[in-house]
Amino acid sequence: MNEIESSLPNASLNDGVQWTTVGGVQVPVELLAPAWPDPFLDVEEYDPDGDLMVLNMGPQHPSTHGVLRVKLVLDGEICIKCVPYLGYLHRGVEKLCERLSYVQITPIVDKNDYVSPMTNELAINMAFEALVGAEVPRRARYIRTICAEIQRVGSHLLWLGTFGLDMGGAIGGGGSIFMHTFRERELLLDLFEDLTGCRFHYNTHTVGGNRHDIPAGWADKAVKVLGIIGTRLNEYEDFVRDNHVFRARTVGVGMVDPKLAIELGVSGPVLRASGVDVDLRRDQPYAAYDEIEIAVPTETGGDCFARYLVRVAEMRESIRVATELLGGVPEGPICSLKPVKLPGAVKAKHGRGVYTAIESPRGELGTFVVGNPERRQSAIPYRCKIRSPSMHALQLLPYLCPGNNISDIIVTLGSLDPIMGEVDR
Amino acid sequence: MSFENPWVHGLVLGLIIANVSLGITGYSIWFERKFAGRMQSRPGPTVVGPWGLLQPIADVLKLMQKEDITPASADKGLYNLAPPLTVFVVLSTLAVIPVAPGWIVADLHIGVLFALAIGSLGVFPVWMAGWASNNKYALLGGMRSAAQSISYEIPLLLSATVPIILADSFRISDIVDAQLGGHWFAFWPPGPGMAAFVLFFLCSLAESNRIPFDIPEAESELVSGVSTEYSGMKFGLFQLAEYLHTFIISLTAAALFFGGWDGPGENDGFVWMAIKTLTLFVGIFWIRWSYMRYRSDQLMAMCWKFFLPLGLALVMFSALWVHLV
Amino acid sequence: MSWAEDATQLAVERFGLEVCEHEGPEVGTDRLVAFCRALKDELDFCFFVYVVSVHYPEVPPVEADAEAGVEATPGIPDRTVVNYRVRRLANGDRPTETFAFRTTVPTGGSTPTVSGVWVGADWQEREQYDLVGTVFSDHPDLRRIMMPEDWPGHPLRRDYAIETSHFPWR
Repeated sequence: MNEIESSLPNASLNDGVQWTTVGGVQVPVELLAPAWPDPFLDVEEYDPDGDLMVLNMGPQHPSTHGVLRVKLVLDGEICIKCVPYLGYLHRGVEKLCERLSYVQITPIVDKNDYVSPMTNELAINMAFEALVGAEVPRRARYIRTICAEIQRVGSHLLWLGTFGLDMGGAIGGGGSIFMHTFRERELLLDLFEDLTGCRFHYNTHTVGGNRHDIPAGWADKAVKVLGIIGTRLNEYEDFVRDNHVFRARTVGVGMVDPKLAIELGVSGPVLRASGVDVDLRRDQPYAAYDEIEIAVPTETGGDCFARYLVRVAEMRESIRVATELLGGVPEGPICSLKPVKLPGAVKAKHGRGVYTAIESPRGELGTFVVGNPERRQSAIPYRCKIRSPSMHALQLLPYLCPGNNISDIIVTLGSLDPIMGEVDR
Repeated sequence: MSFENPWVHGLVLGLIIANVSLGITGYSIWFERKFAGRMQSRPGPTVVGPWGLLQPIADVLKLMQKEDITPASADKGLYNLAPPLTVFVVLSTLAVIPVAPGWIVADLHIGVLFALAIGSLGVFPVWMAGWASNNKYALLGGMRSAAQSISYEIPLLLSATVPIILADSFRISDIVDAQLGGHWFAFWPPGPGMAAFVLFFLCSLAESNRIPFDIPEAESELVSGVSTEYSGMKFGLFQLAEYLHTFIISLTAAALFFGGWDGPGENDGFVWMAIKTLTLFVGIFWIRWSYMRYRSDQLMAMCWKFFLPLGLALVMFSALWVHLV
Repeated sequence: MSWAEDATQLAVERFGLEVCEHEGPEVGTDRLVAFCRALKDELDFCFFVYVVSVHYPEVPPVEADAEAGVEATPGIPDRTVVNYRVRRLANGDRPTETFAFRTTVPTGGSTPTVSGVWVGADWQEREQYDLVGTVFSDHPDLRRIMMPEDWPGHPLRRDYAIETSHFPWR
């Protein structure tokens, strides 16, 4: 099972790459563009004759990954300017966080990144623990890490399915890969149902640890399921990676300039596929990541195909890490705070801001929480800001679209993997 | 079966062949969904009728009872004319294809040319639908489809010229007769015959907008392409035309390249035509459910830079072959 | 969170700012862009993490009341604290570090945009303008991003929709 060397990007793809330094990190030279397109292009000035067509890929669309409106200014089939409009899924999560106590916020935040809910819970509870001053016991940290890695596998499986849909349509080759990856995801959801009682939106992490403990036999079952998924990943790779049409649609499409990505705050597979070797699990370990080694896959292609390769390699790495951790979960309590019956029991110690970040499947998911020092209000945050990686990745879209076909825009948007629940909160 | 009076012959045989084709096309929907389901590790339709066999009937009834919504600013004449015209054009090509010895609606001496010419008229209803819908998605779909159809007609014609040259006649029944006895044009001349068949097959797929060439109705980009603004039975007619076109491609390819009704030994007949057609039909579905779609400029590049030179080379080769062999 | 030593040094020595731990220096709006540029160009803080505006509503002054034993406290005006955080990415030699700094503006007042320094500040500043009402001057395209374009008010202020018995729906 541990074929990490063969599953990491083929070294020969990365041979002969020239490197330079941007902001202290190594980036491939050929991905750096001399100039970035202007996202605020004045269309009237650019085209006084009015030959350009404005196409609205509206909030309801089969492949904008949620409710996202993209206004494209097209010259025939080539896009000149792209303006994304957000806010269709804005639910006021940050305002709600100013009303609810620290233990009540977790199920609200579950619904941000609705594809991998435990990552949201983990991010916010880490911030709350820093604010409240709670320690997390070792067993809880292990469970958190295992769940985070399995969520990563599930999220990337869903991404692979919808990426196929974007390219092949629900009636067609894309539908086939979609059905297969969702079948695999069902196995993972069954695992989580055994652990927490919910298939989705678990509310299992809490301030100071976890609410649900690993049932007997879960570890063996999880290892078996992960093994099955690892084998099936080989089937998907056969189907997709050497598929001539897939390569024609993804190689060279949506090249992301690493300097632009870093400045925009893009992280996760999008940044790693542009050659920047950055991963918060390794660079700034949290939960149980300081006790294990993580191999971080990077690619130097910068295009959609590179992002695909990175995500598949990440899936394999997550399977390996989760299997390794499941072998040795330490005994002990799962929560350092006593079971909380009253929401007001968990109080902040000070009124300053705290920031913690985790590596979600999309990148750096962070939470900035300001505590409320007033005695009566100290069980409720004063301000809670969720730094969502998908919003920064979506900011790339106006820079990537100009000069491309509509088909390429769809594929690029899919490969950036934005989750609108997280973008809009 | 043939009648003295060409009008009676055409009418009777036309009715029989057209209705049987429509019936087979209707049930090809069932077959495709079952096949697709099995390719995706799931059973496909099972609820409506035993093994889901009543599914196409349920689908047709559903489409017929839907509200017929016409956009207010659509060009009514063209908008309403496009769906039936698509089906009409596709059905007309059926007239010159022999399904069994003697069973041909109109045995024109320009058979192949007629089929391809009428088929090329299929650009118009799609273009009309794209323009008349007054919808940018439909417009983009119509433009892409027009460009694709017009481009792919040329290699289609060139690859169809190969059996014409080899059989020395435009009449399709002559082409089938020239292949009787096992000398199917796909295998003899060995190599280029198969290349001509593959070229014909792929170009026909492009003509009927099937995956991997279905950029005009690219569902994930253009919602439904040309048929975005159509609802109810008009939408049903577009789908019917697409499946019918697929069926007719299989028929034509079987007749031109695989010997039509030629069977092993002495038994010829309709059965062998049916087997060959259905095999190719299944092949088209298989390709559809395995591949994603090409981008429109890649499609065009493939046509002009690869298929067209290949078609020309095949025509020259087949002319040489006839001279030398 | 590791706290960047050299950034703290830059703030104290070059810009003469006071740095309190965990919260970073308070930079005046006039020096903000210069400070950001120094951070980015000289110290490699290229990765933009977030910008958050936190609204602190007005605290009215309390008059001295000798009978009740209450002392006079001066009022605190209505203000918004704009917090920024940037990150220096890890390479083989150094770990990743973040550095936070902030600036204070009267609520509804304006502060210069940093989207000229980090492109990623663009949408984040728009979001803070939309939700809290901090105006960022010289922003290329300052308009609402989450709420509809013609929504009145700024929802994430502390005095907005605190009465939940009736909602400010349109």
